[in-house]
Amino acid sequence: MSVLEGGVLQLFPGVNASDLVTLVWIGFFALTFLYQTRIQSYLALSEISRGLNKLKVMKDKARKDTIDYLVNVGKATNDPSPRVDQFLDYVAIMPVDMDPAGIVGKIDHIVTTNNDRVRAEVGALLNQNNPVTVSISENLLEVATSLNQIHKIVRHYYLLGKKTNSYFTLVQLQMLMPMIIQEADALLNAVDSFKLGQPVGDGIGPIVVSRFMAGKEKRVIAKDTVMAITEYKGRKLYVLKADGPMAYVGQPGVAIQKIVGEMGVKPSAIVMIDAALKLEGEKTGEIAEGVGAAIGGIGVEKFQIEEAATRVKVPLYAILVKQSILEAITVMRKEIAEAADKVTQVLNRVIEEKTKEGDEIVVAGIGNTLGVAQ
Amino acid sequence: MMSSVPGSDKKSKLLVYTIEECPVCGQKTKRAFAVGDYVTKEAAKCSKCGNPTRIGLVYAESMKPSR
Repeated sequence: MSVLEGGVLQLFPGVNASDLVTLVWIGFFALTFLYQTRIQSYLALSEISRGLNKLKVMKDKARKDTIDYLVNVGKATNDPSPRVDQFLDYVAIMPVDMDPAGIVGKIDHIVTTNNDRVRAEVGALLNQNNPVTVSISENLLEVATSLNQIHKIVRHYYLLGKKTNSYFTLVQLQMLMPMIIQEADALLNAVDSFKLGQPVGDGIGPIVVSRFMAGKEKRVIAKDTVMAITEYKGRKLYVLKADGPMAYVGQPGVAIQKIVGEMGVKPSAIVMIDAALKLEGEKTGEIAEGVGAAIGGIGVEKFQIEEAATRVKVPLYAILVKQSILEAITVMRKEIAEAADKVTQVLNRVIEEKTKEGDEIVVAGIGNTLGVAQ
Repeated sequence: MMSSVPGSDKKSKLLVYTIEECPVCGQKTKRAFAVGDYVTKEAAKCSKCGNPTRIGLVYAESMKPSR
């Protein structure tokens, strides 16, 4: 105060130190009031910028790991970098939905075309045709593409918000950043599991089903999907899963349609076992039962299964194993693996309670079957 | 090859194990995961009864760093 009294205050006779401090406070509040959105925009920009840098590091690492895998394990003859970069921007354009009748068939056609093209691209890059290596390469490319897309979209809104000085665009993006980073982090961690061919959390359904298929004759029933016929307490089981130990999810929808259609099987129940995303607070490896088609993805397989079950009036039962998105796409955690025994018990109970001797039942293990053969 | 990946909480590491199960006597053996392991793959002979075992599970366990 003495400095003020000896210096600045001499310029304003009649103004004391207390008045000056009050004036400064009023000025501070006025500035904050007038420019609060501008200040918050700067803070949001800085936080989004930090997140964007993290996303860039992640997508670059995924790209590098994919190229390294193609070269070191896939024995790619030429430098695959230009093809991989081309692939990262590859898009599948979804069909028009103004007239939704028959849209599932159109989506299925586009998705199948896309998957076939990815496999053909990977096959052309690699100097070997080991199905496990090819499937892992496909998955690595998909992860790298997803991270590339996430980075591009976040960068788009960041630059758009900055350019238009749009406070609400920036604040919305800032609020979403923690979830986006979490998802990107899960994808990046998935790269390590895929490279080593380790089963992922999503593979719990195939693990349970593989126990029923052991030692039985298997046949390919749909693309990348195998089926075996077995028996349990007088019931005939049609057990199916994606063809492992490749990193496939198969076509369980097509398979179930074939079983109840072409094969003329009249099942008393269709039981589906799948991983399900847990809510915060739920325990990893918890088992939930329900009804309906337990399958994720774009919706084509779910539609096919629901359609087949409705056509022949067969109840659909679901057994779900709870896990987070990170746990679903990275190496299987002990809690999830140990749920396999409990799921088998639940499956046996469902079969015993809902069906009788002589019945036919379809059991489908849904999920990525990397590291899980049959 | 033993694989070690970051755990979900960033402070822990995950160690990946392979569980070999004997279909005859039920004996279970836990060992470090090796590249090429997959569920249902035929594994080493059972230490108890000498029958060939199969890989029953592959999973990761969290290893908290000691303070």
